[in-house]
Amino acid sequence: MSTFSFAEATAWQCAGCNRPLEPAEVKVTYLNSVFTVELMVCPGCGFVLVPESLAVGKMLEVEQLLEDK
Amino acid sequence: MDQLQLRELEARCIQEEQPFCTAACPIHVDVRAFMAALARDDVRGARKVLDRTMPFPEILGRLCDAPCRPFCKRGEIGDPLAIGSLERFCVSRTQAMVKLPKLPNKGGKVAVFGAGLSGMTAALDLARKGRPATLITPDDDIGGRLRSLPAEILPGEALAQARTILAGYGVTVMTATSLDDAAVTNLIDQYDAVYCDRDAVGALAGPFAAGEPDPLSLALAQDGCFAGGGLGTDGNYSVIKQVEDGRRAALSIERFLQKVSLTAQRDKEGSCATRMVTVIDGIAPAAEIPPVDPAQGYTPAEARAEAGRCILCECMECVKQCVYLREYKEYPKTLVRRIYNNLAIVQGTRNANKMINACSLCGQCTVICPHDFPVAEVCRSTRQEMVATGHMPPSPHDFALEDMRFSQSEACRLSRHQPGHDASRFLFYPGCQLAGSAPDLVVRAYEFLSGNLTGGVGLMLGCCGIPAHWAGQQALFAETLDGFRAEVAQMGRPTLIAACSSCLSVFREFAPDLAVTSLWEVLDGLELPAGERRRPEAALALHDPCTARYQDGVRTSVRSLCAKLGLAVVEPALGGELADCCGYGGLMQFANQPLGTKAALVKAGRSRRDGLAYCAMCRDNLAAAGRPVAHLLDYLFAAAADPDPLARANPGFSGRHENRARLKERLLASLWQETSVARPAHAAIPLLIAPEVAALLDSRLILEEDVRKVIEHAERSGRYLIHPGTGHRLASFRPVRVTYWIEYETIDRGFRIHNGYSHRMRLPEETP
Repeated sequence: MSTFSFAEATAWQCAGCNRPLEPAEVKVTYLNSVFTVELMVCPGCGFVLVPESLAVGKMLEVEQLLEDK
Repeated sequence: MDQLQLRELEARCIQEEQPFCTAACPIHVDVRAFMAALARDDVRGARKVLDRTMPFPEILGRLCDAPCRPFCKRGEIGDPLAIGSLERFCVSRTQAMVKLPKLPNKGGKVAVFGAGLSGMTAALDLARKGRPATLITPDDDIGGRLRSLPAEILPGEALAQARTILAGYGVTVMTATSLDDAAVTNLIDQYDAVYCDRDAVGALAGPFAAGEPDPLSLALAQDGCFAGGGLGTDGNYSVIKQVEDGRRAALSIERFLQKVSLTAQRDKEGSCATRMVTVIDGIAPAAEIPPVDPAQGYTPAEARAEAGRCILCECMECVKQCVYLREYKEYPKTLVRRIYNNLAIVQGTRNANKMINACSLCGQCTVICPHDFPVAEVCRSTRQEMVATGHMPPSPHDFALEDMRFSQSEACRLSRHQPGHDASRFLFYPGCQLAGSAPDLVVRAYEFLSGNLTGGVGLMLGCCGIPAHWAGQQALFAETLDGFRAEVAQMGRPTLIAACSSCLSVFREFAPDLAVTSLWEVLDGLELPAGERRRPEAALALHDPCTARYQDGVRTSVRSLCAKLGLAVVEPALGGELADCCGYGGLMQFANQPLGTKAALVKAGRSRRDGLAYCAMCRDNLAAAGRPVAHLLDYLFAAAADPDPLARANPGFSGRHENRARLKERLLASLWQETSVARPAHAAIPLLIAPEVAALLDSRLILEEDVRKVIEHAERSGRYLIHPGTGHRLASFRPVRVTYWIEYETIDRGFRIHNGYSHRMRLPEETP
């Protein structure tokens, strides 16, 4: 399966590691479905950023789709 | 739902019944569609409607004696539509638009004796069905009686057109052919079936000589022989009867050739009854618009105006009032079909899930429906089926069910005898929403009840479980109800005094063994509290909740209380047993948030006045929709100096949560001198939230408690993001099934909240 990228340059930085976020592949799951997507992640501790636009947009759309499967 | 249940349900909805004109028409012309096309100036579209049903539109469109006319609903408010003149207008100005298909030759030779309109119709219909038909007449042309009509009534082209149509479908026409006794006997032997048009050839020899045909099949005593047409039982000649008989005979002959029953299931043929209901209230009367020049007939403008008087009869009574059915563009029959199909999906997307979960289950439509169609029960039992089969999506109900669990948790629930009493004759049950919306009113109502009723008035805080019932979560609902019963038993089975109509409906339906009454009936029987009260400046619209639909006693007592309080109230356009839901019922506002808001606006909009509610959810939802609305308890117990109850804001989900927990703490401390269970660590985190951010969080179903959990987790673990430009922090936490993200900044004494959002997808580091 191809990886969708939602990684976009962001000013948010990891407070704990004091490092900027970088694009990385992340496995997200919902209702027995697993998706590999590219998100902005802290290279130090792995903190994953889900930006608002993604949470209320594409992610919500996919959640609803999976719920109706 | 099985197929039998589906059929039974479908049959209760009459929206697809024929309108009165179509049912009365012996060949069921779709008059409504014909009128609609003419009214929008689509004369060709109107012609298509005629072509689909009429055998010879050029003839019938000019001559039909319109037995439908006395049944026209418009006749009750003005004059019936001038259907005959409009058909004449249509066929005079159009060519044939639709050529119905001809089925492949299926064999079976059929003769039609006599070429009047009935014989012509039978021959044409049989030819279309793939049965080779021969039209035999002693005359030198087809048409029978029609040939003698003057040209201004039936122009010659009309019969020429009919000849062309018959030829087009391969009907053999034998003119100037003797039908004397010998010929008839001889012809009967040559054909598999024979129809005799009695108008064109009168009584023939042999099987056609005597005896009336069977009225349903037009069959004569001799197998394969049929007869029809001619004068009616009233002695009059009806053009449409000729067509009806020809069509009926063709169908009988088709059945005869197929060797199936000639009579089974033919009750819808010919003029028939309809179950259609069309309410004409509010439709302005309108008289017939006759053509200015009767000899010339209608001009296009006149025809359009006359057709425009058509009411386009349909039922749609429930849809007219129900915001939900309108939103999904369904009427009960189509709705239940969609639900059935949705349940039947094994693999694929269940597109109707959201629709099924968006019904408020209020039951207004059932009261309106002439056949009591149970939309609410269908939707609710479908949800139960979805839960049972594991197909219920989690997102529509999660929040409401969590809210219910919170109301049932130790943080909120309470059960005590009146201070100084060790038994209770009564048990006040304000319900979770009044406790969340107006805790002060709960306290004052309880003080009043315990001061004015003897025998001890206990208090119970909690939730009746109706959200679980609405969500189709039967196990959770039963568990909640069992817990409730046990607690009431422990209190010595006192008489419950319910403030909420939803609680009351649950107790009455699912715990009929308990003694239950409503707060309103109890208050109505007591002397009301004395003192100066606040009064609204103008009369208020009294909004009954949907759950009081079958609670006549409640509704009567509420009005009586208003009168005693000197509160002027007016009835909104729809109330009482027809009241709308505010959008909370059935968890509508969680399954379809914008629809919930629409529902609140519709309910509020039934009157232009400010509102008075006696259901806490109605009160808050109407307030959230921006309408000034007070709760009846406001005017019973609030002092004149208190703030204007009409201006009380919607507390929102967070406010209601907090109010419930604080109500228990406050009552325990003030009445029973008890301390409450300790609040969790995060509860102490002070938040500063601007109103617009609070509204955003509320609409996204993010509670302040969730916000606190996120911050507590972030600050404790040090795991958060930081924005170098603004210094804001962004953190997430997943307490159960939802991940919450909060953007905040640290301020002197607490945290200022800037944004919040959530998702249900799980990130790798999250466990639940």
